Amino acid sequence: MEISRRRLLGLAGAGTAATIAGILSGCSSTLPEADVGAAGFGARARGTVSVWSRSATQTGMQSIIDRFHKAQSAIRVELTPVLDGQYVTKLATAIRGGEVPDLVDMDDINSSLFIYRNTFTDLTEVVNRLPYRDKLSPGHLGLASIGDRIYGVPFLADNSLLWLNTELFEKAGVDPDAATQSLETLADALPRLTSKKDGVYSWSFPGNGQGALGFTFLPHIWAQKGDFFKGKIGSQTAFITDNDVLRKTLEFFRQMWKSGWAPPSCYSDAATHWGSDFLAGKIAIFPANYATVVTPAPKSMLPKLKPIVIPGPTGGRSFFDGGDNLCMPRGAKNPSAAWEFMKFTLESAQQQNMPAGGYTPIRSDVDTASFRTQYPLDTTPLQNLDLGYAPQTLAYNVAINQADGPFLAMFRRAVFDGDVDGALEEGQTTLERLLKETQA
Amino acid sequence: MTAVTTHRERLVQTSSRPSSSARPQRGRRGSITHPRGTGIALVLPAVVFVAVFVLVPLLVAIYISLTDFPLIGSYRFIGLSNYISALTDPAFGHALLYTLIYTAIVTLPILVLGYVLAVLVRRRRKGSTLLRTLLFIPYVVGLTTLSFFLVLEAQPGSGAVNIVLRALHITDGQTAWLVSGPLATGLICVLVVWAVSGLTMVLLMSGMQGIPADVYESAAMDGATWWQAERRITIPMLRRTIVLSLIISVIGSFLAFNQFFILTAGGPGTATTTAVLHIYNKAFVQLQLGAASAESILLIIVTGLITAVQFWLLRERDTGAGTTEAQR
Repeated sequence: MEISRRRLLGLAGAGTAATIAGILSGCSSTLPEADVGAAGFGARARGTVSVWSRSATQTGMQSIIDRFHKAQSAIRVELTPVLDGQYVTKLATAIRGGEVPDLVDMDDINSSLFIYRNTFTDLTEVVNRLPYRDKLSPGHLGLASIGDRIYGVPFLADNSLLWLNTELFEKAGVDPDAATQSLETLADALPRLTSKKDGVYSWSFPGNGQGALGFTFLPHIWAQKGDFFKGKIGSQTAFITDNDVLRKTLEFFRQMWKSGWAPPSCYSDAATHWGSDFLAGKIAIFPANYATVVTPAPKSMLPKLKPIVIPGPTGGRSFFDGGDNLCMPRGAKNPSAAWEFMKFTLESAQQQNMPAGGYTPIRSDVDTASFRTQYPLDTTPLQNLDLGYAPQTLAYNVAINQADGPFLAMFRRAVFDGDVDGALEEGQTTLERLLKETQA
Repeated sequence: MTAVTTHRERLVQTSSRPSSSARPQRGRRGSITHPRGTGIALVLPAVVFVAVFVLVPLLVAIYISLTDFPLIGSYRFIGLSNYISALTDPAFGHALLYTLIYTAIVTLPILVLGYVLAVLVRRRRKGSTLLRTLLFIPYVVGLTTLSFFLVLEAQPGSGAVNIVLRALHITDGQTAWLVSGPLATGLICVLVVWAVSGLTMVLLMSGMQGIPADVYESAAMDGATWWQAERRITIPMLRRTIVLSLIISVIGSFLAFNQFFILTAGGPGTATTTAVLHIYNKAFVQLQLGAASAESILLIIVTGLITAVQFWLLRERDTGAGTTEAQR
């Protein structure tokens, strides 16, 4: 058969149209949800469970998988680490393509992004049946929930606290407890804790590292029940310009910078060497997480350390209830076995071992006498679980975690340039626009 | 013999070709030497390749740009809303403007440096191959790798950039290059000019080597100086290569992404956010593929327009400038 030019073009056009239709029709389907209420769900399951873990928590997850394999032989867990920065995109693409893992271990702050788009399995029924349900971290669960429906379980906690070098407090004659009641009391103490001739500064913060900065800065606002985001997801608005708690916190940091209580390196610190100055014994107060401070600290330094829940401008306390949630995407091929593994990760034995990997357990009942003896510096969040918070929003990544997001620009303009009013106005406008776009 | 064929000459040549009616009649089975289907069979692989890897993705992108397609969840057709939003979005406008400024800054230095390097290495001398290789290595290593190096080397106090500047008594060595919009832009421009001018050098060098030696010999006999030879012979006869280099350079600059993503991530604020970086964030951070696709289509149009303007500005006029410059 001869093919004329017209016929060839016609065939090519038809093929192209069919291909496009195929691509787009595959994009619009919703994956089926597992029936978690079915008889026998999560018991005596067999087969393989595929788990995605963010690379930052890969080691901890692998050690739990190894213990799970030792404890039973019916289920094998296959771990795929995914780079933190690519996690959301890769998971979204996998969901779009209909090829999802059975379980995802993800940054809890990103849980809402997927839950609000109906891509995770509703686990309310099985979570509520857990005997330790009331002991689970409320902050983590809040990020994995819409109303009273639960779409994931906490896995590990990564909390921000103020870490004090008590030796420097002693040398300066400053009482750590009295000085850390609020930003006001801290502003009085910081000049005394600074000794430039000895290279000692009172405070260190990553002024160009938006992720770590948000992790440690925002709890000052939350301590007094403030937030950047107002309202519920879907109709959330920015709360920046008229946010007095935020203004006071920015002014505190401005004063700290202007007065030279923080080292000059804070200006460009992108958190690439986060904590190195504190571990060198040159910083009195360092807001950070357990993994950054305790895990790499020399043994001689451990007795000098004191963790404090982050205070607000005039009182109150809070910490970033960060860490990971475990969620089951809709379309999971082996949901029953996945739930068995989820329950295993929540068991006391696994949770008590979390500090070995630099993390904090997510069950308050893990804080036993033996745990306190073994990990005395990892008990503060567990004893104050109700003070943990993380905002429910679809815009956290774009607003806080992005280098070109409004949070870092606002912080730098207010603290380094001294233009607090301008910073707040710019922050309000940009965040408002981003929220509108994200919730469209 | 003319150095460059003029537009007018080409027109004359074209008009003097036999018309289709005057062509030898082909039979139903094709030409005299090949069966009818041979041509189609030969171009079919290329047509399929272009259709699958260019046409289909472009059509899908156009369709997606007319929807509110998120990376997660369902979507619906929304007409031109994404285009209207993009055209009224100050952030996208700022990114486009910044990209234009960046392109304007780096284009001329890349061409000039590439030309100077090509002049240095165009003759076959001892060590010229080694020199060419050394000058071309930055382009081979690539902007991505070089950007990762520069992240470390631009650190205040400890980076090589600051150490060298301090040794030369230009700065105190504590400059935070990557947290200031103008400083970061300047540093990235220097990096790009250094890395990319190697490609321009190779393109221009091959063009220079194609110029017949007797043209220079004639000019020398007429008493032309080195500069006169460059201006009257080399540059006019390199016109097409220069146009090619400029277009490659401008398109590359306009689509800049890697160096900005690695070195500044678009910050501080949005001070160094390029158009492609803005689109990337829209698609993979805000997860709005529909809006990002619309901005991509607009960027394709803008890039096409800029390239068309370049072609128009650098066209060979039939006033004789290109043709006879070398011979006048």
